[in-house]
Amino acid sequence: MTDPGATIFLVDDDAGVLRAISRLLRARGYDTLTFTSSREFLEAHDRSIPGCAVLDVSMPDFDGLELQQALTAVGNQRPVIFLTGAGDIPTSVRAMKAGAIDFLTKPVSEDALLAAIAHAVQVDTENRQVSSEVDSINARFARLTPREQEVMTHVIAGRLNKQIAGHLGTVEKTIKVHRGRVMEKMAVRSVADLVRLAEKAGISPRKP
Amino acid sequence: MCGSSVKYTHLLRSAFLLVFAILLGAVVASRATDAPKRVLVLHAYNYTFPATTIASEAARRRLLEGSQHAIEIEADFLDLARMPGEEHATRTANFLREKYSKMHFDLVLVVGTEGVPFIIKYRDVVGAGVPVVFVGGSAANYAAMQLPPDITGIMSGFDLDKMLELAERLQPNATRLVVMGGSGRADRGWQQATREAIEHRKRKFERAFRFDLTYDAMLAEVSRLPSDTIVLLLSVYADSAGRPLIPRDVAVAVAKASTAPVYAPFGTYLGTGIVGGYVETYESMGIAAGDMALEILSGKDPATLPPRINPGQAFRVDATAMKRFGLKQGNLPPDSIVMFREPGVWDEHRNLVLATLFVVGLQSLFLAGLLFQWHRRRQAELSLRESEERMTFTAASANIGLWQFNRATDELWATQHCRVLFGLARDTPLTRDTFLAAVHPDDRRIAVNALRGILPGERPAVTDLRVVLPAGQERWIRVRARAYRDGLGTSDQLSGIFVDITEQKSAAAEAELQRQEVTHLMRVSVLGELSGAIAHEVNQPLTAILSNAQAALYLLAQDIPDLAQVNEALQDIVKEDNRAGEVVRRLRALLKKGEPKSEPVNINELINMTIALLRNELISRRVTMEIDLADQLPAMTGDPIQLQQVLLNLIMNAMDAMASMPAAARCVTISTRANRARAIEVYVRDRGPGLKPTTGHKLFEPFYTTKDHGLGLGLAICSTIVQAHGGQINLANDEAGGARAAFWLPAQEDLMAAQ
Repeated sequence: MTDPGATIFLVDDDAGVLRAISRLLRARGYDTLTFTSSREFLEAHDRSIPGCAVLDVSMPDFDGLELQQALTAVGNQRPVIFLTGAGDIPTSVRAMKAGAIDFLTKPVSEDALLAAIAHAVQVDTENRQVSSEVDSINARFARLTPREQEVMTHVIAGRLNKQIAGHLGTVEKTIKVHRGRVMEKMAVRSVADLVRLAEKAGISPRKP
Repeated sequence: MCGSSVKYTHLLRSAFLLVFAILLGAVVASRATDAPKRVLVLHAYNYTFPATTIASEAARRRLLEGSQHAIEIEADFLDLARMPGEEHATRTANFLREKYSKMHFDLVLVVGTEGVPFIIKYRDVVGAGVPVVFVGGSAANYAAMQLPPDITGIMSGFDLDKMLELAERLQPNATRLVVMGGSGRADRGWQQATREAIEHRKRKFERAFRFDLTYDAMLAEVSRLPSDTIVLLLSVYADSAGRPLIPRDVAVAVAKASTAPVYAPFGTYLGTGIVGGYVETYESMGIAAGDMALEILSGKDPATLPPRINPGQAFRVDATAMKRFGLKQGNLPPDSIVMFREPGVWDEHRNLVLATLFVVGLQSLFLAGLLFQWHRRRQAELSLRESEERMTFTAASANIGLWQFNRATDELWATQHCRVLFGLARDTPLTRDTFLAAVHPDDRRIAVNALRGILPGERPAVTDLRVVLPAGQERWIRVRARAYRDGLGTSDQLSGIFVDITEQKSAAAEAELQRQEVTHLMRVSVLGELSGAIAHEVNQPLTAILSNAQAALYLLAQDIPDLAQVNEALQDIVKEDNRAGEVVRRLRALLKKGEPKSEPVNINELINMTIALLRNELISRRVTMEIDLADQLPAMTGDPIQLQQVLLNLIMNAMDAMASMPAAARCVTISTRANRARAIEVYVRDRGPGLKPTTGHKLFEPFYTTKDHGLGLGLAICSTIVQAHGGQINLANDEAGGARAAFWLPAQEDLMAAQ
């Protein structure tokens, strides 16, 4: 029904609200971690735990939107759902532009909350899949020798062995051996696959 | 033509300048004399010492009569004789120092010898440099004191030589001289001086010095003396048996027992039966001191005026005593003052003759006078009646009733209009009781007490009473009454007026209602501004309730429901519902309309409640709140809703003031404090730009505002509310920057005492 192991980070300065939403989500099988202030959340946040965050917009000192910005600023991709007492349009626009999954008004209906959370958890899962794939490409790329890496950037630029050899001041045969190693180490069968991997991991082709 | 005109103008201008200069001079001169001089009179003893009381009274009269300036006199009794010891002196000095800390004196008049060391020691009670004039004591007293140059005064002179001269003149045939004095320490001082004075006289007598007799022996001695003896009586504070005596009482006894004329160097003995001496009176001491003070007040340096012997000494004799011993007034030295003169037989006789002579003339005059008087009285009665009628008419036109009442006899006189005011029927007699019967039963005691307490010379007493008219409606009557002494000197006579103030009262009630209405509207408008924040405040518990309820429903729908969890959820629902109810209750209280209440109020609790109401407003305006509440505040009573309104207004103002400041700087501080005067102080500080200097006094005026939106009624209403609670509110710039609103409210018992 829900993703096992998804944890919902709840941040609200109102302890009563925090306890109630936490209770609801736990009943529905989510793990929850509750925080009564943005700072407390930032200090304790473990980005490796899968799940999403449900933030109250209006909090003293450091509000929900600022918390969202702080997360983005450190490259944290935790999906965020906002809860607000008074849902004014400018605030919701700001939140959505900054990448919020949803902007819900208190008192929030169970269905709306659970739907938003399910969506957010899915986004988190996808994010995590993407990032784990990139991690593995980068790991494979790191196993190439500097020369092989160089050859690979030429290959994904669509150059022939002869052209690459000319560039690197060596013979075509040597380039052919390097290319074979690259294909093997990067675990691809075709140049097309290699180009797709490079794109995913942001490895750019060598300019002529 | 032209030349003469110029000359004329010039002349005119000179004349104008001259007049101007004279006027200016006059103004300057009058200002110089107009500045009042302040004199502090310090009595060394207390009111019961005739010597200082008489002397100071004489000095006071002299000062007031003789001064070119207005004189202001402050006076205190040091009471140094009855309360000896340094403790009392220090205490008195402290008292004076505090009492006069804010007053400047031009001169201090110390009456009585013992006051001089006191003022030397505690000169700072009036400030150094204020000249001191003392009265009393002899040169010997002051020799040891080392008086500073700006302390001077009038000393008693005891002229033994002149006393002997008086005795010799009055008793040219005397051959014997008896000197009598006491055995006390103070007495012995006189003996040597007297011996020397006697040695210096040319005329010699057979002398006897009696300084070691008991009181009874003294009286026995003087009762045996031949009449050609001169008796000199010195001070007798104690006799040889050590019995303490009052010198003047001894003088009375000695003079009575003595068979020869008795003389003394003391003014106090005059009137005891002694013949006299070269003495002074306390009054003359006071007058001399007054003169010296006047010299100093008119600018003379006190250092140039050394202490002087009272110039008011004179030969003073008792006419009755002289007559008793057959002494002739013709023998008196020139300028002698004869006291206690009995009217001579001739004088009485002359009066009798004159009286007899005039009787006939008087009788005829009397008759004529009576006729004239009778005529005058008729005239006066007529004009009095007219004037009374005029006054009654005028008063009735102004809806005023006039009355007079005698408290002793209950006699009442009242104009007919009083009848109208009190709704009394035409045939009802106008008595105290009929009036009282018309007064509202609840106000009768007030009416009776009001009339009972008035004293003559006081301001008229004003009492407002309700009168119940026969038709049942109420009428407010204001009674103004004044007591005065009648011809017999009793103070039971009252007179006064009745005024109908019903309209005034209903206007005041109307105004009060309107004020309540405006106050209420302002409260509603403030809450309107807060509506967003308040909605949030209710929304929070609703959110919690909904989520808890949905969680509970879901839990119950499971095959094996976790009832413990359900129970917790339901408990939380109850708790959150109470919380929402609390917000609504608070709001409802503030939105309620009604008469001001008076009930016990805990200001700290009110502040916490107000902040709870403002919690979300603070958050959304990004304002932090610091709270510093005193633990022990005195109890007070008041209207909690109105006081909360004051707090609400002040906090909202503080938040408004910081709207343009960076969020980190927005902080409102609320503190309470009990001050020493048993009042509760409340401060609301902000860190905004503060007040403009020009706005200060206008801020509490209605419809004055510095905000873009706003009615300008907030502070005006706060001020009205605080004042209605017996306190005060003010707004100032805080030392730490920003503005500071402060108000204080009296604690319960003080408010009750004030009412």
